[in-house]
Amino acid sequence: MNNWIAMIWLVPCYSLVGAVLSLIWSPSITRRTGPRPAGYLNIGMTFLAWVHSLVALWAVWGKPSQFLSFTWFAVADLDFTFDIEISALTIGAMVVITGINLLAQIYAVGYMEMDWGWARFYALLAFFEAGMCALVLCDSLFFSYVILELLTLGTYLLVGMWYNQPLVVTGARDAFLTKRVGDLFLLMGVVGLFPLTGTWNFHLLADWANSATPNSIAITLVLLGLIAGPMGKCAQFPLHLWLDEAMEGPLPSTILRNGVVVATGAWVLVKLYPLLQLSELVQKITIGVGAATALGAVLIAIGQTDVKRALSYLVSAYMGLIFIAVGTGTIESAYLLMLSNALGAGVLTMAVGSIISNNITQDLTLLGGLWSRRPISGLSFLIGMAGLVALPPFCGFWALSSLFNYLQQTDRYGLAILILVVNALIAFSLMRVFGLIWGDRPKQMTERSAEPLWLIVLPMTILAGIVLHTPQLLTVMGVINWSELVNSAAIILSTIIGISAGSYVYLNQQIAKPILLPNRSIQEFFTYDFYTPQLYKFTIVGLVDIFSRAMYWFDRFFIDGVGNLFGVVTLLSGESLKYSTFGQFQAYILTIVFGIGLLIILVFSNQF
Amino acid sequence: MLSALIWLPAIGALITGLVPIKSAKVSAVIVTTIVLILDILLLGQFNLGESNFQFQENLPWLDNLGLNYTLGIDGLSLPLVVLNGLITWLVLCFDREIEERPRLFYVLGLLIHSGVSGAFLSLNTLLFVIFYEIELIPLYLIIAIWGGRKKNYAAIKFLIFTAISGILILAGFLALAWLAPDGLPLFDYNALRLVSLPLQTQVILLLLLLCGFGIKAPFVPFHTWLPDTYVESATPIVMLLGGVVAKLGTYGLFRFCVGLFPDAWSLLAPWLALWAGLGILYGAITAIAQKDIKRMVAYSSIGHMSYILLAAAATTPLSLIGGIAQMVSHGLILALLFDLVGIIEKKVGTRELDVLNGLLNPLRGFPTISALLILGGMASAGIPGMVGFIAEFLVFQGSFSKFPIPTLLAILGTGLTAVYFVILLNRTCFGKLDNNTAYYPKVFRTEQIPALVLTSIVIFLGIQPQWLIRWSETASVQIADRLPAITIVSKTLQK
Repeated sequence: MNNWIAMIWLVPCYSLVGAVLSLIWSPSITRRTGPRPAGYLNIGMTFLAWVHSLVALWAVWGKPSQFLSFTWFAVADLDFTFDIEISALTIGAMVVITGINLLAQIYAVGYMEMDWGWARFYALLAFFEAGMCALVLCDSLFFSYVILELLTLGTYLLVGMWYNQPLVVTGARDAFLTKRVGDLFLLMGVVGLFPLTGTWNFHLLADWANSATPNSIAITLVLLGLIAGPMGKCAQFPLHLWLDEAMEGPLPSTILRNGVVVATGAWVLVKLYPLLQLSELVQKITIGVGAATALGAVLIAIGQTDVKRALSYLVSAYMGLIFIAVGTGTIESAYLLMLSNALGAGVLTMAVGSIISNNITQDLTLLGGLWSRRPISGLSFLIGMAGLVALPPFCGFWALSSLFNYLQQTDRYGLAILILVVNALIAFSLMRVFGLIWGDRPKQMTERSAEPLWLIVLPMTILAGIVLHTPQLLTVMGVINWSELVNSAAIILSTIIGISAGSYVYLNQQIAKPILLPNRSIQEFFTYDFYTPQLYKFTIVGLVDIFSRAMYWFDRFFIDGVGNLFGVVTLLSGESLKYSTFGQFQAYILTIVFGIGLLIILVFSNQF
Repeated sequence: MLSALIWLPAIGALITGLVPIKSAKVSAVIVTTIVLILDILLLGQFNLGESNFQFQENLPWLDNLGLNYTLGIDGLSLPLVVLNGLITWLVLCFDREIEERPRLFYVLGLLIHSGVSGAFLSLNTLLFVIFYEIELIPLYLIIAIWGGRKKNYAAIKFLIFTAISGILILAGFLALAWLAPDGLPLFDYNALRLVSLPLQTQVILLLLLLCGFGIKAPFVPFHTWLPDTYVESATPIVMLLGGVVAKLGTYGLFRFCVGLFPDAWSLLAPWLALWAGLGILYGAITAIAQKDIKRMVAYSSIGHMSYILLAAAATTPLSLIGGIAQMVSHGLILALLFDLVGIIEKKVGTRELDVLNGLLNPLRGFPTISALLILGGMASAGIPGMVGFIAEFLVFQGSFSKFPIPTLLAILGTGLTAVYFVILLNRTCFGKLDNNTAYYPKVFRTEQIPALVLTSIVIFLGIQPQWLIRWSETASVQIADRLPAITIVSKTLQK
């Protein structure tokens, strides 16, 4: 049994091997078999990884954490060691990651049946899985940064996969650059932290944070850099706009992205929590960013007509809640929030994908009336919603109520109320999506619709089943305390208000849709994401663009100009000097006499 | 051993020039392969713990003048010599672009190799200058003969700039030789290291050399020869130029500027670090404005050379190791990028960003080349897993404790690098390939070999960086030890 634990580092390797081998089935290399073997191979590898982590979870359950470390390389006074923490938590996270990826990959077999880009797609999914598994195992800030950066590259390639479509290409670009901004600040933090602490190991950092009294400005700056990385990954304000653009990528990758990839940032943030305690300001900023995103993103989500975008903003909002949890110091709720997001957002995306796959459109205004035709997807969607919002006894409830109760106990009433509001709005927003797809009467696009291929339905229902079983699982694991139910009236009430308001508005055929607010500009403000893309276009992007052109102009005409001026001056002076050799003998003599005279004066002037 | 590295290619050039035109390639291939094997043997025999120069060779030549044939190798020159061997091998063996006067091309290529190796290996400053200037002549010819439309302009510009750089360096070395206390001109590197001059003199000489090597590397604002030269040169030549020859400048920086004037260097270091930081940003920002992929890659090189200046300015053992690693990694990545850009230009017929599109298309595009281009661009932008990241990270970590602000500027620079490479990749590889115009010739397997070899090295060294940095550890520590402590340490970062 212990072998399974000692060899746990194999889990990321399985999928990595799968990723590398898939390249063989690229259309440019293998034509004969088509690209499908790559998919099957990767599903097999992921299954292996899942089984391995499941067995290891069994073995490691209830035992204290074990630490392993591999030296990557050592140079001068710097050791790069890959530290691994093996605990029920990290292996449990791997089970979730590999499990969701397994389901997403099976889903993709059905969803992308006609696609030729299988090799690339599956290789990248496997790459993501490997990266995430390595990230949860890894106990070193440096390698966490490395992996986050690699995942950024992975997102670029995965979103850009259908590069024939212009929106996909800009989506990939924006995803890469926005996340890279976060990563660069993280890099600055990583580089800046080392001279202070002398280590990147999370546990040693925690020890250091307990005893150290660093210069407050330095540590604040470093910490600000460090939280920027998770902000980018978790699509928090102001780095949030990549997530909805990333929705242009293939849907099965969205399952993975919405469920677990965005949570990688949250994972690192939780690991950084001991350091965050060193600076009050940074904690406040973390909470502020989280609160702003939670509220802002959920409002934006309600304004979206593209169903994938509506879901993606909800994920941003949910990650905002995690930021609040970490900022205030409820790590347990942060982990529970991650789990409920992984499962809930996963099911929601799968359910929506099952509609998109054969109704062709993802525009909410064109859908409707699918309840009679697509009950399984509808039920799965509702289950996903139940898993996400505070509806007992599902995972989201325990996460949100523990966060809410903690905030109440620590007298942060403002934040507590915010949690209630956000929870209600998330419920409302999900009911809106549900109502617009499954409620009302069928429209032109939804007249004919049937549940799709079993390859899509099966993973969706399995994941929905898992969501339904979370209460038992959490009870068995001893994570939850059922007596908490008693003092959770407020948060349950907020869910009920959200759901009923959503149902009243969107399941009510009397109310004409789309619903227009009296003031169009407010509605558009939300619909267009607070105009953030335009804002960036006119500020940062515009500035870099203008500045780079100006610099290039300066380079060409000034710096190069100086060089060319030298050349021209040399040529011209040569040209003009050649006329001084005009061949008049007397003039030469005169020059010589004049020169000698000058020399004599110079020589003798010193003596007097 | 070291002499063989210099004279074998020179003799090879002679033989290649004499054999019939058809067997010229065979002869060049044989010579470069032998040289590469010698390089690899050298790696095997190199003693990692030894801090002195190894494989020293000493022949009196013009002893009165102080010009002796003194060679030696240490952790600074070894990686560069091997890089030179590798890239020359790739260029001469797998080139398919040079169709007219191939024999002359091979001869000149071998001569360049010989000169560059000589400069890396000489331990006599005058000998260094001789090799440094010798390599210039074949380079001028090679640019002027096989270049693009404005090849003559580019070649002359290159020649004048580099000649000025040579003159400045020669002036510096001559002054140094005559200022040495014995009365005899002193050009021997090992002896010169023991000479201590007044600080003022050191600063003046250092500035001379800085300008000289700054032109060669190049650092902003001495870079104006670079875009024209790189863009106008044919692909194999620009691989040599950017991959290896430019490293002579940074090599000189480490060997002579830091090595011979430690006091003056630590005095100027804060300014040099700032210069480096601004240079990195300058290179990155001007690259964003480019519309021509080759020119964009050329501009990327300007910024990336400044990382080495930053590393040299900080002179911590870590930053110096990072700086040497950056020389190698930049050489590999730049050669890779220029190779790929060259293939695209040759097959598609344009380098314009606005025209290129959708080359990742698996049927009518160049999927392999595009995939490698994505990897190369990302390696250059410092994405982990590839060699560029290791080098840059070591530079950042090594320099941060001494010069935090320039280091942060440099990190910002890597972000901007990502911006222009994403622009390049999005336009070139992504997008929809135009069905009506996309009838491109096939890319042959042999054409892909240099790119594949370089990519595998870039990835291998990125995953296993020990193989890159182990050579230079002792040398870096030694250089750093000779330096007086730089007093300006950021106060905010003290505990």
